[in-house]
Amino acid sequence: MRSDTTGFWTPVALSADLPAGTVIPARMAAGTIALWRSQTGHIAASADRCPHRGMSLSHGFVRGEVLSCIYHGWSYGRAGNCLRIPAHPGLTPPDAIRVVTHDVRDTGGIVWVASGIPAGDPPDLDGFTPLRSLTADADRAALALAAGAQADEDGRLVTNIAGQDLCLLLADQPEGRTLIHVLVRSGSDAAARIAASRSVERLRRMAESASHKGGVQ
Amino acid sequence: MTAQTTLQQAMPHQAPPHQAPPHQAMIDEWYPVGLVSQLDRSGRHTALMGEPIVVSGDDAGNPLVTGGNGRILPVKVRYGHVWSSLGTPTKDIFSIPEADQPGRRFVDVGVVRVRCSPLRAVENFLDIAHFPFVHTDVLGAEPHTEVQNYTAEIRADVDEVWATQVKFYQPQASKSASGGITTEYMYRVPAPTCSVLYKTCPPRPSEWDVITLFVQPLAEDLCDVWPWMALFDDETSMTDLIHFQQMIFLQDRSILENQIPRLLPLDPGMEIPTRADLTSIAYRRWLKRHDYTYGAQLVAR
Repeated sequence: MRSDTTGFWTPVALSADLPAGTVIPARMAAGTIALWRSQTGHIAASADRCPHRGMSLSHGFVRGEVLSCIYHGWSYGRAGNCLRIPAHPGLTPPDAIRVVTHDVRDTGGIVWVASGIPAGDPPDLDGFTPLRSLTADADRAALALAAGAQADEDGRLVTNIAGQDLCLLLADQPEGRTLIHVLVRSGSDAAARIAASRSVERLRRMAESASHKGGVQ
Repeated sequence: MTAQTTLQQAMPHQAPPHQAPPHQAMIDEWYPVGLVSQLDRSGRHTALMGEPIVVSGDDAGNPLVTGGNGRILPVKVRYGHVWSSLGTPTKDIFSIPEADQPGRRFVDVGVVRVRCSPLRAVENFLDIAHFPFVHTDVLGAEPHTEVQNYTAEIRADVDEVWATQVKFYQPQASKSASGGITTEYMYRVPAPTCSVLYKTCPPRPSEWDVITLFVQPLAEDLCDVWPWMALFDDETSMTDLIHFQQMIFLQDRSILENQIPRLLPLDPGMEIPTRADLTSIAYRRWLKRHDYTYGAQLVAR
């Protein structure tokens, strides 16, 4: 975990990949979190561990405006407080039972999760629209080399491949992997979107083979 | 004599430097290592608490268990399984009187490998509050989620954990149940990685069905689970009985492999129990009292 106190935003998923009423695991550099969207569309991020018996909350389920653990159904609100313990329906859970939550934003078609307290809003992606996400078994430097461009401090890398502008959002993952969110110019047609997808697959393979060559395989 | 010297004497060819701290109390216990019905000469190559072992049978069907360097380990046959120990057991294998009762069918369910602490596997077996969420519409169903008060204790005379007067509404309590019933349970933990469950027997209300969980600790975070049953059920085919129990345990596995931390935390503070967890609280207390800590963690980390 970073020790600086400024905080930063991590792009963890495309908004479209988190429909209402679902929960998914989202990998941050510091570990996995449970990312969920309520039935009415509110998004939330919490520690991926139910404090009752340590079960991963991203295996849980969303009903209405609460996230529930799949093990015993303990339910949590967006603020992380436990709302219900099904084994004891008459009990109001004490306020001390809660999960750590993270600040989360849904903007520009991307879900951003805060580490620490970011100074500002997530970066603007004007002119670009999210296409897909993929994970590369290569770090940010290898991807920058393959793309022929550097990512800025927000992890945003803008490049041009085969005449097509692409914006890649890079998020560091454990074990030297990188999560890549691919964005294309807004209004790109289907053929352009398919071409962009293939370009980034090639980029991923280039970066992976370059990093494995120098690695300990 | 320190625990460390005891360990080295018990397992002179064991304990490479990277291994976990000694667990003499658990080393001296009996563990299931295979099914009697599946003994053969080529043997089952498996492990017990980190040591590779081979479980084989001679032509007459006598079991033989050998340790890492070929040393002969203690062996017993009980409840359809072969049992062994890396140490010197001071007690016999716990008794299940129902195993000698006429009219019961004995079901070797087989083995399920689980990437979890053997102690977490037992603790999950002692838990009823997860039924509506993990065994949905079989062992439990919403809105019947309430766990009524029951009794859990460490019985001093037998030195076992017991939970009694446990009741739960079940849509399909067993293969022989038709429709929902409120099932009564008793749980017993006679050995650190074994539990015996006594459960309402639908075809014979005056008797208890017996369902056990025998857990073979392969490593602190890996185990082979051998469920076994002694039931009054003359209707259901053996295949269906086995499938039912395997389905239940595979649902449990999806939980057990996703708990954090992998080891069972014995110190308070890491997890939050409620009244419904009284059996688990007694089990953890009993483990701690006996230094049964293989597969446990004592300090939050």
